[in-house]
Amino acid sequence: MNAFAVVFWALAALTVGSAAVVVLARSLIYSAFALLFTFMGVAGLYLLLGADFLATTQLLVYVGGILVLLLFGVMLTHKLYDLDLRSEVTQFAPGLVIAAGLFGLLTLTALRTEWATTGGGRAPAPTTNQIGELFMGRFLMPFEAASILLLVALMGAAMIVRRKKDA
Amino acid sequence: MDEVLRSLNRFGPELILTAALLLVVLVDASGAGARNALNRLLTGLGLLAALVACPPLARPEAAGAIFSGMLQVDAMGVFFKVLLLASSLLLLLSFTFKNSRELFGLGQGEFYALLLALTLSNLLLAAANDTVMLYLSLEMVSLTSYVMVAYMKGDRKSNEASLKYVLFGAVSTGVMVYGLSLLFGLTGSTEFGKIREALFLGVSDQNRFAAYAIVLFVFAGFAFKTAVAPLHFWCPDVYEGAPTPVTALLSVAPKAAGFAVMLRFFFGSLSSPMNGPLDLVGTLDWPAMLMVISILTMTVGNVAALSQTNMKRLLAYSSIAHAGFILMGVVSLSETGARGMMVYLLAYLFMNLGAFLVVTLIHREDGTFDLRDYAGLVRRSPFLTFAMSVFVLSLVGIPPLVGYLGKLYVFAAAIEKGLYWLALAGALNAALGAYYDFRILKTMMVEEGDPAKLSFDLPLVDKAWLVVFMIANVAPILLWGTIDGWTRSSLPLLAAR
Amino acid sequence: MIGLPHYLIVSAALFSLGTLGVLTRRNSVNVLMGLELILNSANLNLVAFSRYGSGGMTGQLFAVFVIVIAAAEVAVALAIVLTLYRLKRTSNLDEADILRG
Repeated sequence: MNAFAVVFWALAALTVGSAAVVVLARSLIYSAFALLFTFMGVAGLYLLLGADFLATTQLLVYVGGILVLLLFGVMLTHKLYDLDLRSEVTQFAPGLVIAAGLFGLLTLTALRTEWATTGGGRAPAPTTNQIGELFMGRFLMPFEAASILLLVALMGAAMIVRRKKDA
Repeated sequence: MDEVLRSLNRFGPELILTAALLLVVLVDASGAGARNALNRLLTGLGLLAALVACPPLARPEAAGAIFSGMLQVDAMGVFFKVLLLASSLLLLLSFTFKNSRELFGLGQGEFYALLLALTLSNLLLAAANDTVMLYLSLEMVSLTSYVMVAYMKGDRKSNEASLKYVLFGAVSTGVMVYGLSLLFGLTGSTEFGKIREALFLGVSDQNRFAAYAIVLFVFAGFAFKTAVAPLHFWCPDVYEGAPTPVTALLSVAPKAAGFAVMLRFFFGSLSSPMNGPLDLVGTLDWPAMLMVISILTMTVGNVAALSQTNMKRLLAYSSIAHAGFILMGVVSLSETGARGMMVYLLAYLFMNLGAFLVVTLIHREDGTFDLRDYAGLVRRSPFLTFAMSVFVLSLVGIPPLVGYLGKLYVFAAAIEKGLYWLALAGALNAALGAYYDFRILKTMMVEEGDPAKLSFDLPLVDKAWLVVFMIANVAPILLWGTIDGWTRSSLPLLAAR
Repeated sequence: MIGLPHYLIVSAALFSLGTLGVLTRRNSVNVLMGLELILNSANLNLVAFSRYGSGGMTGQLFAVFVIVIAAAEVAVALAIVLTLYRLKRTSNLDEADILRG
């Protein structure tokens, strides 16, 4: 077992383990912090896969943005003196069966299928340059469309949350 | 750079909509007194200008992929662009802030901006040629819809509806993107054309399971957007909780865009034109899967509609059933099927907008969406009853109304392909649909209403729009040849690859 | 040797756990967390295929867009959760029951 494998297994365990905590924990705060570790684990896996830009984006946007937003959501929707931030669980067994079934099927698929790997994939190398060029090249349209999407999301979220009555 | 400039030439409608959107946002932010009227004007002009910019794109010289294969410009795309722009424009003009009791008093600027954004997203979705663009534009449509549904933010029902919508939709598209990631792995590409090439040589037995799983996962996103079983659960709640004009638009436009991209995906990357009729790529028998879903959708929608008394929920379930009918066109993997879908969606636009307009007007007058309160409407407003009858009969599919035309094409497509069981299921469902549709008519015309309710007269503007929708339901049968020719010429999509 | 299947199985686990969360949790914020797990699993797939498969950098670009969209979705979803909470003092989905059927 070389160092790479050790790091991989450690990150994989961190990611999947904390994901399990996210889904199974009773307290909402525990879930939120476990989610933090999941995101960090995934960022680590991205680094192992040579996606440096993406790992940084993951940390900045997911941890720094989305997770913080979720924590605000958790905090603002519970009376602060009521620290019993429990989350109830409904009908756990059917869900577990479905999830376990899905895992089995997807693992089987992953192992059996011949994925398109002719050409060997790309060796890990700094990606920021290429990503930048692709954003301005082939992916220009989605890039611009995403800016409209963000405008709408911004406007929409602000409009929904705004308290004052508008004319 | 050249590529971008060349693409921009064929991107007119979308550019106009973007400009209009930004202008509306700026005008609204300026806080000027007349900004609501100005915004309404801007939105209307923007939609109209975009509509006018569409036909030049239908010329054969203009066809092709733009923006490095992200979007496809072709005659079929133009058909859908026109359909989507027309639906937004008709909505803007016929449903106003004055005739909707739900929207009255709420901010207008954001509504117009959202309307423009939704239309823009719909156009992008209907033209998507790449899985990245597919996911992105699908989410754009969804996000804009989520916000529009939540528009009545002081209303608890509306908020619950939009929350369910968001969670349901986000999970469905999350599953879809997982499927798209697997598709990327299987084929090494995200462009529809390249995916088809990769699958063309046949899907090996080893990969077959993955391929079917991918189709199922990706279909989850489509099924959600077009409210097809088994992901239709959000539909009745959202249609009921959203302001009726929003419901009217959601039932027509995103559905059409969703079906358009479904057509592009299934016909464009999972099948190939071999010597004419479309053939399955790699012998992946997805039509069989979709056939089951189509029958399930029609049945679920119709059966659930039977017991509904809330008009918006009833129309929601009816909408689900109609989506099942439209799916018949996709299942019949043929040109007739594609044309059937297009005609049905065109018909559906007019039937549904008309029906929802009636529901809105009655709500403005009586404050109710309950069908039982529609009793005796014939005595109180014969004009409204007559209009509703036209729309309802069209929904059932009675000739010579446009609804009949839509059903004719999809049934023809199914029978042409020898899918007799599908056609039979469709026929039974059409009969089932007739039951609750006629019940609406019966309630309005035959039942005794509350004598205390007075007759009412509609403002001329509303009457005019009802007349327009009624004509739209009747006229197409006279213009059958034109429509047929229009859809026929809209289908080089499948040949131009 | 760590290869493609390893990453795919990790993402399958994330996807399944995310689905479990979405199906069994009653609190909207918990459902959103499950959703984020699902999206992360898809992203992991994309990046893994980008590294080991023939698709090239496309996978990573796709992943960037997924991240962007996830952020926008969470913002809108939480805005609605907050508004609903203000109206009703609960973010439990089971208590969002005005709409029946």
